[in-house]
Amino acid sequence: MARTTETLEVGGHSLSLSNRDKVLWPEDGYTKGDLVEYYRLAAPYILPQIADRPLTLQRYPDGIDGPSFFEKNAPKYLPGWIPTVTVKSEFGRSETVRFVLCNDEATLVYVANLAAIVLHVWTSRAQTLDNPDFLFFDLDPGDGCTLATLAKVAVGLRETLGEIGLQPLVKSSGGSGLHVAIPLTPRYSYEFCKGFAELVARTLNGRLPALTTLQRSPAKRPAGTVYLDYVQVGKGKTLVAPFSVRARAKAPVSMPLGWDEVEAMTRKRAKDTEGEFARFTLKNAPPLMKERAALWGGKAWKEQPLEAALKKARQAWQ
Amino acid sequence: MAHAIWSGAINFGLVTIPVKLQTAIRTNDLRFNFLHKKDEGRINNVRRCSLDGEDVTYDDIVRGYEYEKGHYVILSDDDLKSVNPEATQSVDIVQFVELSEINPMYFDKPYYLEPDKRGRHAYALLREALKTSGKVGIAKVVIRSREHLAALKPNGDALVLELMHFADEIVDQSSLEFPASETPHENEMKVAKMLIDTMTEPFDAEQFKDTYREQVLAMIEARAAGKQTEAAPTKAPRRDNVVNLMDVLQKSLEASKKERSVGARGDAKSSAEKPKKTTKRKTSAA
Repeated sequence: MARTTETLEVGGHSLSLSNRDKVLWPEDGYTKGDLVEYYRLAAPYILPQIADRPLTLQRYPDGIDGPSFFEKNAPKYLPGWIPTVTVKSEFGRSETVRFVLCNDEATLVYVANLAAIVLHVWTSRAQTLDNPDFLFFDLDPGDGCTLATLAKVAVGLRETLGEIGLQPLVKSSGGSGLHVAIPLTPRYSYEFCKGFAELVARTLNGRLPALTTLQRSPAKRPAGTVYLDYVQVGKGKTLVAPFSVRARAKAPVSMPLGWDEVEAMTRKRAKDTEGEFARFTLKNAPPLMKERAALWGGKAWKEQPLEAALKKARQAWQ
Repeated sequence: MAHAIWSGAINFGLVTIPVKLQTAIRTNDLRFNFLHKKDEGRINNVRRCSLDGEDVTYDDIVRGYEYEKGHYVILSDDDLKSVNPEATQSVDIVQFVELSEINPMYFDKPYYLEPDKRGRHAYALLREALKTSGKVGIAKVVIRSREHLAALKPNGDALVLELMHFADEIVDQSSLEFPASETPHENEMKVAKMLIDTMTEPFDAEQFKDTYREQVLAMIEARAAGKQTEAAPTKAPRRDNVVNLMDVLQKSLEASKKERSVGARGDAKSSAEKPKKTTKRKTSAA
């Protein structure tokens, strides 16, 4: 295939885009050009969500069927105008990791041109790296888990959080599961948030023992249950950003959902959950995003303190 | 899974049968990730230029053939394509032969040919004709831009395209040492034959399992379970767990409050300070 390069002016930066016609989704025929176009349309909605968050790129240079790799460290050839944040590696002693911060459309286009299909972000922002501004639960349906079961667990989680005065948001992961998040006042440590998430997960597991599992080893999870993943809360742990595309057939995107939609799913008969969430794709999502962004951001994004919630939990759940 | 490798056609004589080329062999290999021994971090492959030490993306990589030490001829995808006589997506039958004429060592990898709606009749006809004649077709086929030699064989209701090795790929066995044929002792031969007879039974592929794979998977499961108990002890009754957890959280909250009130007296790092949303960001020092 002939290599093509073209130049695109975005926000005062001249970006050279290579191989727009490279097919990234062989089954659907979507190209890198389509990915760039999608992220340009998504920019006004995705940027408020990912700005200032250390970004991990999941790159698929040869398309979704080819090898992929996670890129935390900003590439050396990163243009100087793209901001980064340097974080001490959690593991290595003296190592640091320089993360890209994707704060404008030009950076988003630059990143998409690297065939970074999936954007993973931290749950804290550069100004308060040690204090997450949201806490999330990854509801991961296991083998044989129906859409209705997954939705029931999500609704159960919402009710459980409601008892202690917390209002969560929900979005599809873009794959088979749901992400439920509580926006926080960024002043709690990751350790505290992890403990809090565990408290909620154990409580919910106690209420819905047949529908949920806390079993970390996939092989040991009972069939048909939802894994309540609270282990994903931690410094350096990431979440697939809302509106991020996934490297799966049909190019589904992670989409904010309304709780009424999730309630409706508890009555649906669908056997698998992926089909339901693959409704939102790189092709059809853009016109929906404005409305959807209001479900995971804007006024819906209410930073909530946890002191009162913990107090209530001590009274209600003892 | 039903994702075809390509859609094309079988050509023989003047007949064209539209077909899809489908994978027939699943690789069940266990996939391991390479991890850093001390911290279990995933190992990334980095393509780094040996001259300037820069990391290189796939877009900036070309193929070079070292024709002389340190000297390369660069060949682009287009160059390689131009060599392929006709990279058509077709199975071109060049002759038919008796299956028994082909030494099984030549067979490499089978694919299914799935007929298109329009081609079902001709497909079935070719398959039946092959079955009745006991012959297989020898064809040329292009897969992933390379031309292969292949045999077209009937297999139940399917036509299977079995890729074959070219003659020069097979190692000449005269390059190794094997005993020449000799007339064995009659009794020895009798015993050997008897042994073979007693161990003869119908071949049933299902009977053989990849035990290595199963054993390694069992080992992985056991280890993961061990890690599990280490990481999150769930032995204590759940109720106690939740209550303990609440106590720990309460203490942690009180401790951090104390810290914050100390910080408020002049520690710039005070986490009580409200973060500004979009402006000021910590940029890299480098």
